[in-house]
Amino acid sequence: MFNFLLPSRIYLLIEKTLKFINSVFFPILLIGLTFALVISPPDYIQGDSVRIMYLHVPSAWIGLACFASMAFLSILNFIFKTKNFFLINKSLAPIGLLFTCLAIITGSLWGKPTWGAFWVWDARLTSMMVLMFFYFFLILSFKFIKDQDKLVKVSSLITILGSINLPIIKFSVDWWTTLHQPASISLGKSSKIDPSMLYPLILMLLVFLLFSALIFLMKYKTEIIRIKKKRIKSL
Amino acid sequence: MISDLIFMNGYGIYVWLSFVITLGMCSAIYVKTKKTLKKYEKEFLHELRNLSEQEKRKVLQKSKILNQISTTNREVI
Amino acid sequence: MLTKKVKKRILFLVSIVFLTAVSIFFIFKVLNDNLLYFKTPSEIKKDENLDFQRAIRIGGMVKQNSLSATSKEIKFIITDMKNEIIVSYSGAIPNLFAEGKGVVAEGKLKDRNYFIAEKILAKHDENYMPPELKKNVK
Repeated sequence: MFNFLLPSRIYLLIEKTLKFINSVFFPILLIGLTFALVISPPDYIQGDSVRIMYLHVPSAWIGLACFASMAFLSILNFIFKTKNFFLINKSLAPIGLLFTCLAIITGSLWGKPTWGAFWVWDARLTSMMVLMFFYFFLILSFKFIKDQDKLVKVSSLITILGSINLPIIKFSVDWWTTLHQPASISLGKSSKIDPSMLYPLILMLLVFLLFSALIFLMKYKTEIIRIKKKRIKSL
Repeated sequence: MISDLIFMNGYGIYVWLSFVITLGMCSAIYVKTKKTLKKYEKEFLHELRNLSEQEKRKVLQKSKILNQISTTNREVI
Repeated sequence: MLTKKVKKRILFLVSIVFLTAVSIFFIFKVLNDNLLYFKTPSEIKKDENLDFQRAIRIGGMVKQNSLSATSKEIKFIITDMKNEIIVSYSGAIPNLFAEGKGVVAEGKLKDRNYFIAEKILAKHDENYMPPELKKNVK
């Protein structure tokens, strides 16, 4: 059923995609940084500190999206026992942890000059920290559980239970009073970010996505080789 | 112009620190991932090379993916 | 495709997730008060058992033309458009603190209408635009 995802079919595709991304990444990164730091205008209240948004928002989105995809694949893996999904999850987890940490760090560097505090215990920030711990436990389980069957079970459990946190993060700003502002961009509503800032934001999101794809493909390739190496002897 | 870009009306330190930390952490992850990949590729090819000619042919015939891994790294073999 | 085994696993998963979601919902129901980062002036007005000894946070908007500053302290009114609370504060204020903008104050209530703040945080909204555009809108 999930044959199209078999490592043997996509190995060459991974090679090609990696080469392609490597060739376009740096030009796009430079354009993105120029827009974020120089060309985009300062905000009418926040001034130049708004430029941190171009890092903070894409990081948070990718941190959430990684966990959501991992939870989805874990559920499929649990139901259909497709081993390959486990490899994908293992490759996604470090990307998610990286960007969740970055969202928190850039967020506090943004909070200090605008709110007046690096950190507050409001619902949005706290739930984001909980997400970071879920990623942390997940990666620890990858590192320390050697028994493959047990590892698949434990990591699926962590991702599926952790996914309950995702709607809490998303709606924390609507359900409770928080210091963090509500969402500026939501489906079906016009964006509350002016186009002169929205396009740089989309560009930076593209940069972050390309980088994530690069890391993901390299990690996934490593996992494939690791498995095949074990199999050389048994063949 | 240049000093405007650096100071950003007092927000410069926060903005630049965020960009530097982001860039630093991303590069660190990139280097680490690449290093691990290279290490595994090398070990993999090493094992393949240690096989006898006959075994090697048999292995490559049996598994499509092993074949692909070794062809994409042909220059190393 | 959906064998008996697969169906059983789906059922198991759905029930686990459902049970966890329900229990978390109830936990939040109980904790609701603690999850609120700040209270609005209207919530303070309604609250029957206010604790004047405990530090709390109140939030809302700084009322237009309510800000007055002496050398020792600043005074302003926090409003949520229905009720108001007078706040007095001495100390550093964040850059984004201004009349007509969101604010969260941390401190103790002296009485129902008077709040002594020990810390002020600025709350900004979800709108982003360049300064020239804002002038045009006005």
